[in-house]
Amino acid sequence: MTYLTSLINAVFSLGAVYMLTGMVLWIFALMTFRDHGNARRIGSSLFWFILGTTFIFGGIMPHWVTGLLVFAMVAIDGMGRVVRGTSHEATPAEQRAEAARLGDKIFLPVLMIPIITFALAASALTLKWFAGDVNRAALVGLGLSGVVAVLVGMKLTGGSARMTMQQGRRLNDAVGTVSILPQLLASLGVIFAAAKVGDVIAQGIQQIIPADNLFLLVLANCLGMALFTIVMGNSFAAFPVIAAGVLVPLIVRPFGVDPAMVGIITLTAGSSGTLITPMAANFNIVPTALLNMRDPYGVIKFQLPFALMIWSLHVVLMWLLIRLI
Amino acid sequence: MNWGELWKLSGIVIVVVGLALRLRTTLVVVTAALVTGLIAGLPLFSNAGLLHDLPLLTKPVVDASAPEGIINMLGRAFAEYRYVTLFIITLPAIGLAERFGLQEQAAAFIRRIRAATAGRLQIIYQLFRVFVGLLGIRINGHPAFVRPLIYPMSIGALEARADAGSADDLPQNVVEEIKAANAASENYGNFYGQNLNIVQAGILLVEGTLKGLGYPVSTLRLVLFAIPITTLSVILGALQFLWLDRRIARQTADAEGKKL
Repeated sequence: MTYLTSLINAVFSLGAVYMLTGMVLWIFALMTFRDHGNARRIGSSLFWFILGTTFIFGGIMPHWVTGLLVFAMVAIDGMGRVVRGTSHEATPAEQRAEAARLGDKIFLPVLMIPIITFALAASALTLKWFAGDVNRAALVGLGLSGVVAVLVGMKLTGGSARMTMQQGRRLNDAVGTVSILPQLLASLGVIFAAAKVGDVIAQGIQQIIPADNLFLLVLANCLGMALFTIVMGNSFAAFPVIAAGVLVPLIVRPFGVDPAMVGIITLTAGSSGTLITPMAANFNIVPTALLNMRDPYGVIKFQLPFALMIWSLHVVLMWLLIRLI
Repeated sequence: MNWGELWKLSGIVIVVVGLALRLRTTLVVVTAALVTGLIAGLPLFSNAGLLHDLPLLTKPVVDASAPEGIINMLGRAFAEYRYVTLFIITLPAIGLAERFGLQEQAAAFIRRIRAATAGRLQIIYQLFRVFVGLLGIRINGHPAFVRPLIYPMSIGALEARADAGSADDLPQNVVEEIKAANAASENYGNFYGQNLNIVQAGILLVEGTLKGLGYPVSTLRLVLFAIPITTLSVILGALQFLWLDRRIARQTADAEGKKL
């Protein structure tokens, strides 16, 4: 019985899900290595192999080894050695024929992903599985849902395992090396925190804003977040710095404010900055190319009035919520 | 304020300059991390284990505590934040479904929701994007939905309204604005709708950051406080898109007038 329990615990763990993801990446790497249509097949397959390795062994390797592997990945990408492979994409006519054959049933495998994720998160909440840790349950759910969705999809479509992984590789190639950017930016945030960069920014803000004026502090917090996001092009990179430098020391700690409430509002105050920065190229510049627009800043110009309005509402909302709650 | 401290901001300068010069983002970010750490006086490696007392690369142990090395920190954070990249495991299933007509079927599904104007279509798409965020699904909306689906539908709606035979007969500035609105409805729905599910990267980032600062919070509470802004974003977006409809109606009427 205890053996069974420990087996179940091992399968339903974050470690198992990381290992599965690593295996998937290794398969992508192998397929890329054998893809002679890829002009950079060695570099590309090495990149995905190393990423897979950090997923499988990240929990047990010494951190400096993981750090060096990150350097290796970034070096390969920096030299432009990671490119898309060739894949057999179905023609639009084929896709239309399959869509007619399967109808709305084709939504079944993709719907497995949110359903299983929600189910496991809910199990942690109600049945106290995963020791009641909703976050971990949802992540394990996301990982397992990928496997279940593949099984359901293969049964439904009659597609082979090889075809499934080839299709996965096609999407993975389309996302490209950008997929490790959030992890890298999180690492940058950790180093900014260790170097106390936030303190420098906070000192700057403290010099300008009187520490007892809540409204001006909220304003400075939201403005700092938006400006830093404009600079970084990414609210995820700005958040750890603003949280450590302004939000927690100047608002949460002295005023005893609910950190969850002001935390998420600070994050989306950053999203207002994302809407108006060319640094967020994937959201603001790439679409102008995709849609063949004349003005490369056309999307940003359209979003500007919206961004200014919703940013102002962030300031007012945060101030009101702190006052009222 | 100690002005020498300002050197610590060089990482930010590197990011700004690097991205402005369109260098590889991954390379720029890691360089910024390395430079910031070195300026702050951190060693490259922790002084422990295999790398014990390496000259230049580590710093001696003082008071039984050694500073964590930059590369150790990089590796630790990269491993800790693996969950942000967990979506890769869902790619084979999504790819397979696409191979068997997911996009086609999605197009048919959205077409069943009849939208008479370009502006209203953007409102519906923004709501759809919020719903996708609520489900906790990450989609790359611009290439997956906007370009193949929402843009042709918007132009179609415009043509029907303006009684134009093809997009070439429509005023160019109107078409440009529709394109911008297409991209914007994706961004509005994505940015402000993605925080409605506890598995989303933004929620996990806020939770992780606050925990690191000594304030553990529940992800469900984060989602709860994301609701007001999401609601406001939907209202503001709808107002902007309805206003767009009115301007388009006026401009196409003007264009018609000139033709007659």
